[in-house]
Amino acid sequence: MMWNMLNLSLRQLAGRNRLLLIFLLSALPVVLALILNAFASNDQDFNANFINSIIDGIIIAGIMPIVMMSLATASFGNELEDRTLNVLVLKPVSRSVIVLPKLAASILIATPVLLVAGAAVTLIAVEDGGARAALATSGALLAGIIVYGAVFTWAGLMSSRALGFALVYVFLWEGLLATFLSGIRYLSVRGYTLGILHGLDKQTFDSIEDRVIEFPAALVGAAAMTVVFTLLTVRRLQRMDVP
Amino acid sequence: MSTQHGPTIDVSNVSKWFGSVVAVNDISFQVFPGVTGLLGPNGAGKTTLLHMLAGLNKLSKGDIRVLGEPVRGNTRIYRRIGVMSEHEAVYGFFTGREMVEFSARMQGVKDVKASADWAIGTVHLTDSQHRRMGTYSRGMRQRMRLAAAIVHDPEVLILDEPLNGTDPRQRIEFQVLMRKLGEEGRTILISSHILEEVETLADTTLLLVSGKLAASGDFRAIRQKLDDRPFSVRVLAEAPRSIAAALVRLPAIDSVAMEPDGSLIVLTKDVAVLQRTIAKLAQEAKIRLYRVEPLDESLESVFSYVAQR
Repeated sequence: MMWNMLNLSLRQLAGRNRLLLIFLLSALPVVLALILNAFASNDQDFNANFINSIIDGIIIAGIMPIVMMSLATASFGNELEDRTLNVLVLKPVSRSVIVLPKLAASILIATPVLLVAGAAVTLIAVEDGGARAALATSGALLAGIIVYGAVFTWAGLMSSRALGFALVYVFLWEGLLATFLSGIRYLSVRGYTLGILHGLDKQTFDSIEDRVIEFPAALVGAAAMTVVFTLLTVRRLQRMDVP
Repeated sequence: MSTQHGPTIDVSNVSKWFGSVVAVNDISFQVFPGVTGLLGPNGAGKTTLLHMLAGLNKLSKGDIRVLGEPVRGNTRIYRRIGVMSEHEAVYGFFTGREMVEFSARMQGVKDVKASADWAIGTVHLTDSQHRRMGTYSRGMRQRMRLAAAIVHDPEVLILDEPLNGTDPRQRIEFQVLMRKLGEEGRTILISSHILEEVETLADTTLLLVSGKLAASGDFRAIRQKLDDRPFSVRVLAEAPRSIAAALVRLPAIDSVAMEPDGSLIVLTKDVAVLQRTIAKLAQEAKIRLYRVEPLDESLESVFSYVAQR
């Protein structure tokens, strides 16, 4: 059952245009990293600036949430728009058998592309201990992908304007408000991702130390947010009127 | 087929409202094995009612039991129910075969291949089963969706406007199939807004008008009721008062009313008699007739009449 649903969800999400968009978005920081590395690597603060601007500023704060928005909000958003959701809910399976593969599909599509991009950028930027830093970036991105996946999958089932909600969440809540109110980092996927990144490799990523939450808090927060939003999605599917 | 004693579908005092709009208003009925038609004009509440029967929509009030069990939140029951919704939505990237096999696997069917072969063969789409659903005609999509709805051999079939988009030959095939499935002991509930469609498909009919159950039972009895209704006919003539005076004396005429614009609204149970007589009356009185037109041939007016009785 799970495999059936996963197969369906993967085929639904893996449209040519969407895959192309994800690929191009993920390639962007790698290209930027190569250019910066070629022209500015003699700069004294290169490493810190690179991490701040490319890894945090572009990949974690921009590309990862945008990629997950395009995938996860469509998981149920497409079903509601095409009115195919009733095909799924009229089957003798628990609602989690529908929700979990939907979530897994967006994670499975995003993970290889984003992780390769994140690891490549890190390897370009970090000369000593690049492998460990690349692993830390991959681990942090994987956590971010999973949490964003859970939140945006829920949003896709809640509203036909899920993309708007996702944009407000990412750019207003995580981008703007978290800058002024540091406590918001404890309720922010970006906050968890940075916390895990720093926790996995403090040495390389010491330039973000002043704005990260504690490693255990980041892990617990990411896990809790994933579980809560997955349960909310299952509950919503159980209770909603299906068109 | 059905092991259920008593009604397969039992609807008790069910209502559904969306805000201040009442879509289904305090409906009760029972459905037994065989083919039952749910007839009503567009907007009567058929789809809302079927969605509640299928467990897709919450009930605002009342209770629904299918095969003795509640449906909403009871996913196990879908092993015994097949549902085909009104929307012709399909996964366009699936071939017809993939769609039916997907349905079979999700239903927990043991021999997926054999069940899919049977279901696709039953709707006569074996030759087209490997084409993508997105390339199917509307009628083909409907038939393949029906195959997906019956692939697990359900005891109860709930079909919302299944004949939409089908051609006359496909309709006849569909009727034969429904009759066969019904005779095998399944309970089949089919909605339609077309009187003749239900007449050829179902012996038992539920007539839904404005969210209320207007009539239920044997189709022929309901049909007789419909045939007994008076028709409204508008008459435009040179001297309407003279024509009106002549018409009210005829036994076939129930009433004649004059509109402000001088036209006559004639109520009659026998339009044929009116057509024959009015021309003769006008000729005898040397009155010129401009127009004689039926006013309420629409299905909605027929349903409204039955609902008012």
